[in-house]
Amino acid sequence: MSRTKELLNHYSAAKVFLILFLTATSVFAQISNIVSGVSVGEAKEQTPLVIKAELFSADNVSTVQIAYKTFGQSEFKKADMLITGTTAAVTIPAEFVLPPLMEYYLIINLKNGTAQTYPVGVQEGVPPVQISIASVSEKEKEILFLSPSAGEYLTQQELFISISFLKAPDNVDPAKTKIFVNNEDISSLAVFTGDLLVLSGDNLSSKFTGGPATVRVDVYDKDGKLYHSTSRSFQITTAEFAAPGVWTYNGVLKGESRSEAFNSQSTWYNNIGADFNAAAGAWSFNANGYLTSEEVSSRQPYNRYSLSAKAGDVFELQLGDAYPRFPNLILDGKRVRGLNTALNLGFINMQAAYGETDRAIEGKFLQGYSATSDATLQSDVIAVNQSKYGFPYAQVELGTFSRKLLAVRPSFGSGENFQFGLSYLHAKDDVGSIDLGARPAENLVLGSDLMFAFDHQNIMFTSQAAVSLNNSDISGGNISDQQIDQIFGSNTNFNVDKDVVKKVRDIIGSFITVNQYLGPWNPQELASVAAEAALSLNYLNNNLRGSYIYRGNDFQSFGQSFLRTDVKGINFTDRIRMIDNKLFISFGYEDLQDNLQKTKIATTTYKTVSASVSIFPRADFPNITIGYTQNQNSNGISKTDPTKQLYSVDDNTNRVMVQMSYDFNLYTKHSSSFSFSTSTKEDNSFLNLDTKFNTGSFNLTSYWNSKITSFFGLVFSSSQLFGTDMSYFTLTMGGKYKMLEDKLQLSALLSPSFGDFKRQAFEFTADYNVLANLNLIFQARVFRIPDVATNSIFGLTTRLTI
Amino acid sequence: MRAKNLILICILPFLFGFQPGQINSGGDDTPVALVKKIVKDVTYRKSGSDWEEAKTGLPLRNGEEVRTGAKSLALILFTDGSGILRVKENAILNIYGDKNAKKLNKNTVVNQGLIGFEVNKQSEDEEFKFTTPTAVASIRGTAGFLEVDGEKNLTFSLETGAAELTSTSGQKLGTVTAGNTARMDDKGNFNITQSTEADKAKGRQARTLNTKKVTIMTNKGAVVIEYYSSEK
Repeated sequence: MSRTKELLNHYSAAKVFLILFLTATSVFAQISNIVSGVSVGEAKEQTPLVIKAELFSADNVSTVQIAYKTFGQSEFKKADMLITGTTAAVTIPAEFVLPPLMEYYLIINLKNGTAQTYPVGVQEGVPPVQISIASVSEKEKEILFLSPSAGEYLTQQELFISISFLKAPDNVDPAKTKIFVNNEDISSLAVFTGDLLVLSGDNLSSKFTGGPATVRVDVYDKDGKLYHSTSRSFQITTAEFAAPGVWTYNGVLKGESRSEAFNSQSTWYNNIGADFNAAAGAWSFNANGYLTSEEVSSRQPYNRYSLSAKAGDVFELQLGDAYPRFPNLILDGKRVRGLNTALNLGFINMQAAYGETDRAIEGKFLQGYSATSDATLQSDVIAVNQSKYGFPYAQVELGTFSRKLLAVRPSFGSGENFQFGLSYLHAKDDVGSIDLGARPAENLVLGSDLMFAFDHQNIMFTSQAAVSLNNSDISGGNISDQQIDQIFGSNTNFNVDKDVVKKVRDIIGSFITVNQYLGPWNPQELASVAAEAALSLNYLNNNLRGSYIYRGNDFQSFGQSFLRTDVKGINFTDRIRMIDNKLFISFGYEDLQDNLQKTKIATTTYKTVSASVSIFPRADFPNITIGYTQNQNSNGISKTDPTKQLYSVDDNTNRVMVQMSYDFNLYTKHSSSFSFSTSTKEDNSFLNLDTKFNTGSFNLTSYWNSKITSFFGLVFSSSQLFGTDMSYFTLTMGGKYKMLEDKLQLSALLSPSFGDFKRQAFEFTADYNVLANLNLIFQARVFRIPDVATNSIFGLTTRLTI
Repeated sequence: MRAKNLILICILPFLFGFQPGQINSGGDDTPVALVKKIVKDVTYRKSGSDWEEAKTGLPLRNGEEVRTGAKSLALILFTDGSGILRVKENAILNIYGDKNAKKLNKNTVVNQGLIGFEVNKQSEDEEFKFTTPTAVASIRGTAGFLEVDGEKNLTFSLETGAAELTSTSGQKLGTVTAGNTARMDDKGNFNITQSTEADKAKGRQARTLNTKKVTIMTNKGAVVIEYYSSEK
């Protein structure tokens, strides 16, 4: 019966979803009424990837999370995005940025308790966004930027620029290389010695006045066509600051005031952010703060602050808001406000984190009851303090208990060839932190992890295992002696020695509260066990990886909110580099199953086969990535089975993706990209939820001269969801113009959508460099949905660089 | 003994395949390395030439010799992007490189001094070697330091990675791994032990570029003299 209700709800949700996107206020595919656009940093192999989502308005948004996965994986990892102003940003760790592609979607939790994804409808079958990841082993490894180093502090006297063509292919003509300093062509200063290009001396120094600088190097082939462009940013400073061993520092202060008019409501937001970095020798320090008018005690913190000190790779201490990274079964991607520290001595290491993951938010009193019999049986009707609220019971909007977390991980071995770690995590709600709350919880997780590697990590084995204990209601504390006497003993249903039970309670109770809410109750079925192991081999240009995962349905860590449980299975991926890294072929296979503890009516198998081909030609030809993925989900229940048909799962999704990027010269330099993706889901279950999506996009950025840059973009989307069609086009046009000796940069973007979805968006930004280190930025954004609403944001930002 | 060492140093490049006279025979004059940073007194010379003052950005070609004076240091980059050397005070070394197609085999012959190094992972058919009067270290990708003292005793210590050590006569000595230090004296006595606190302190000294400054006020303005200090 409950399953029928669930399915009816599902149908209702689907109908609502359909109605929503058939009305002008709704959005679909890559159109969202919350996210205006997503910018992705340089997607390069093994390089941290910054993803920023621009929000139409931060007014209704509570939190934003990103779900992402690498090629060949079916499980999405999740992480919180940091919201500052109308931007939500996250940096994907380097180890997850792997070619040929990465998929992601955003989960936007709204203040009214609902959630939405970007692209809208991922849960209903809309494909996530794919990012093509460029292999770093290509032109970056051929054209070597020897000096300066990225982010280096140099005096004018120490400055020299050097590019090595030692590894460049024969079709590259080093003599045609163009070098730009802050967009000024200084190629005439270059001197070649063999395969080395060097710029040094007083003529070069005079081009730099101090402060941040960027050198861009454009490399051409023998036909005069642009082969590769690379750049390096660094700082020119005084001798005192640049000398190692003395203090160097930099910082940014940023203040923003903006007005958002959204759905006829106008709100002012003010925020200020500061980020200071200092370094001396091997030590580096950071102080970071963000204060916003959105901070209110009735929600989890919007303000962020942290102080950190780091001594190379040996020692690190963070105070304030931190995102500690332990083995991912234990603690990963969770904000902890407190302390996070690591000491790495090589043979023995220690990592620890302690702090608050949720702050106390008092609930709201809605209605009082004199007796439980007066109230309907609902989870939000709780016992309350009668002297304070006038009633013994009340219906309330449940608050959030303050939750503190402690995690410790001693480990042995440097992690280069061997490391063995043990993890302990304990998290507990503070029962007394609020009045109007229910079911405070407690969690204990014990884990171990092991890695060993041979032959310079060409052979690597990693594994981890963890077991959790969870108490879903600690409001009553430990079970009392009197309760044990009543429940256990020879004359009861539990014929167990009372003294033994008390002894066990005392032992376990020193780690976690022991009462009837402590689980799991079926530990012998490995319900709260999670484990995984992986072996990777890196030989003959093949990177082969095989892994096995097991996660019981009751496994839970309060340090890891995003882990998929009730799943086991295998995963294989192989990434093959061929023809001197010009060709990149990948294969993936995954076979997962749920229902490990037989808690569902049937076991569903999830099979994914994926393959991709990436071509990185070194000639004047586009980089191309073609990918194919097939997902098959099935649980063996026939759709004609009269008693179980509602539970049947039998679908097959095929997805093909093509992405191309091409930099070329036609009157001037252009960067272009094209992508097309088609996805078809055949649902053979009783529900028959067939879906089909086609999306294509083309983007062109043209660099007309050092002052003018133009953008042009076109997006086409066509979808068929449960038999309903929807198609639209979005056109994007805009440009950047620098004036007043490059002190003022104006940029404008116009983006109308046509077809079944209509919207006009306009954005204007003026960035004025008042002083060398002071910028004033005015931003205006207007979004119009015909016949529905016109929304706008106007803001002024001040940025001071120290 | 010193004469013996001198002879050894002269013949080492021939023993290990780096023959200065035959490098770049195709007319390729690509430098093997570059001087990235100089503090105080750093000089260099081509074979048989006089010592000349080194400047920032100086290209170092096959076989050229670099010398640091008292309170001085030099930072050297290899032109294939394979690594960086921090040459501490009173050190003497020769840089050799054998370019073959797109590969560059490197050999740094250290006659004296303390050198900190960070070497990226080398491709299968590329070499990165340190040659000292007593031993040769072959590296694929690692960081650490080596020191040759006045008595030609070698200390070779690794923080990361691994290196194969052979004697100058070609005898395999062993593999040094991260956290361990190899020592060899001029009589050929060799051992590998876990790095001591003194070794780690020296590693930190080799890794950092501690410099101090003296500012002299003159009637034409302030003159800043930067010098290397091994003191903390």
